[in-house]
Amino acid sequence: MALLSIRDLRVHYRTPRGVTRAVDGASFEVPEGQIVGLVGESGCGKTTAARAITGVMPANARFAGGSIAYRGEDLLTAPDRRVKELRWRDIAFIPQSAMNSLDPVYRVGAQLREVLIERGGMDRARATTRAAELFDMVGLDQGRLDDYPHQFSGGMRQRAAIALALALNPSLVIADEPVTALDVIVQRQVLDTIKSLQRRFNLSVILVTHDISVVAYVADQVVVMYAGHVIEQGPARAVLAEPNHPYTMGLYNAFPDLTSAVSSLVPIEGSPPDLSQELTGCRFAPRCPFVIEPCRSGAIPDQGNDGRSAACLRAAEAVELRRLARVPSTWLHS
Amino acid sequence: MAALLEADDVVKHFPVKRSLGEIATGRHPAVHAVDGISFAIESGESVGLLGESGCGKTTTGRLLLRLAVPTAGTIRFDGQDIGTLAGDDLATFRRRAQLVFQNPFEALNPRFTVLRAIAEPLVNAGVPRADHQARVVEAMRRVNLADVDQHLDKYPHQMSGGQLQRVVLARALVLEPIFLVADEPVSMLDVSVRAGILNLMRDVRQAMGLTAVYISHDLALVRYVCDRTLVMYLGKVVEDGPTEEVIRLPQHPYTQALVKAVPVPHVDQSHEPLPIKGNVPDAKNPPSGCRFRDRCPHAMARCASEEPPLREVAPRRRVACHLLAA
Repeated sequence: MALLSIRDLRVHYRTPRGVTRAVDGASFEVPEGQIVGLVGESGCGKTTAARAITGVMPANARFAGGSIAYRGEDLLTAPDRRVKELRWRDIAFIPQSAMNSLDPVYRVGAQLREVLIERGGMDRARATTRAAELFDMVGLDQGRLDDYPHQFSGGMRQRAAIALALALNPSLVIADEPVTALDVIVQRQVLDTIKSLQRRFNLSVILVTHDISVVAYVADQVVVMYAGHVIEQGPARAVLAEPNHPYTMGLYNAFPDLTSAVSSLVPIEGSPPDLSQELTGCRFAPRCPFVIEPCRSGAIPDQGNDGRSAACLRAAEAVELRRLARVPSTWLHS
Repeated sequence: MAALLEADDVVKHFPVKRSLGEIATGRHPAVHAVDGISFAIESGESVGLLGESGCGKTTTGRLLLRLAVPTAGTIRFDGQDIGTLAGDDLATFRRRAQLVFQNPFEALNPRFTVLRAIAEPLVNAGVPRADHQARVVEAMRRVNLADVDQHLDKYPHQMSGGQLQRVVLARALVLEPIFLVADEPVSMLDVSVRAGILNLMRDVRQAMGLTAVYISHDLALVRYVCDRTLVMYLGKVVEDGPTEEVIRLPQHPYTQALVKAVPVPHVDQSHEPLPIKGNVPDAKNPPSGCRFRDRCPHAMARCASEEPPLREVAPRRRVACHLLAA
């Protein structure tokens, strides 16, 4: 059984302009001991979906349906007390900007000890040893435990945030764009740290990112979101090598690749739909070069096998569509 | 071809707060943002300034536009030292050299319509008001903002990120400059939109025959728009060459690590550790000799005592490393 199973999740935000359906019926699973890359562009709902799992949401957010089952227990219907218990001990969070999880006026080591004592029930001595151990684990020098966050570089802060998240041995770690703000060299080093800790502790990780190369580097599974929907998912190797949804194909074309010959990058014209409007049919249809009439109305069922699925009516023709998608002129609207 | 722009041993230090001890001993600590860089850019070239945060690439871009004044060294634009420009000469320079901002969501005044935002440089340059609309429409056409009439009266919040970046670009082009500095022009945009803006910038540059400097941390992007790349590390240029050669055969150990670190969208890729140690040193106290030496896997005794000059190792190819000394 999957460690985490999300079914038909709906999260809406109340805004002055009406209700924004940020996540509008998303389903995916996180298998035990695997890294799931949750990938998509701004506004696709990836961060909202990930945050929903932690239960920490802005005041204007509302769960409008679905379930989030952690080891079979629905977090959306469980009592608050129970969810609080799970948070940090079982389900931990690494934010995009480490400054959001570190308090600038306390020493980094003291913040780690506070978590260990308050949430982990350790005594002072045990917490001090454990804090040093955690620093070691994430590749920070123990001599820096008494530093303040501002004395750390960006990469070191991100490592400290990872140490905080792992403090109480969680089973599931949710990392929201953990390396986006870092330079490429540091980014690679932090990703290596995440990957090695994941293997060592058999962690399940949800890695939220806009960057398919990050997914390619560390993820076992990939879930692609677009406009509040999951449009494609499956093993990272299979999905990245042979995408079945036209959006995934387009994302690939638009992505710069240092290892291939230089040719023009191919953009996907248009922009995602306004999620405060009532939408029918495939949400990618207005930008899709392979759109057919039935795409514009009704529900788009997931199609696929071997642990893969794509929400595309033409998924059966994927081989041919992939061939066409590699031709830049396919993506030029008239 | 003649060089449009020449930077000669340009230095920019930013003073930082002095401690009591430093005041007593008469020391003036400073961040060495740019520490002696020299290069020439030919007319019509597109050059990438590549490096990590804190390497001095943004400061260099600001110096080239005289948005900052060098601590030492000179920058010549079209033969003139831009540090000495004043009055009409300075106004002319400001018209000919323009900046494309990084964040389109912040670069535009939310209370200005598109027309007013793009016309603003015309106002500043004293172009007669009667000509504004025509010039703005022309600039918008250049950046493929189709349906000009539909966009002229829009406010920034009514437009998408990609459209906003087109407006920012149109504003930089409206005075018909000959030189453009673009500081991370697409880093705030989504991948699917980014590609369109990069292609556009490349096309516009070619169509108008512009000389351009792109500041970026992303080698994969620099590659699509720049013929030539300068790699910076801690205030120094460590490598200079045609972009494709720099990517294919990086010569400086830092560039080698940087190229290896660039993520690629394939599952089958090397997971080997990078040939680099530690973190970027403090720009207030850069290491003696070669600034990269304490992170370099090939460092020798000489690297600590003697700073490697940026020297030509092949035609159009310069590298600052003792390993490559003949």
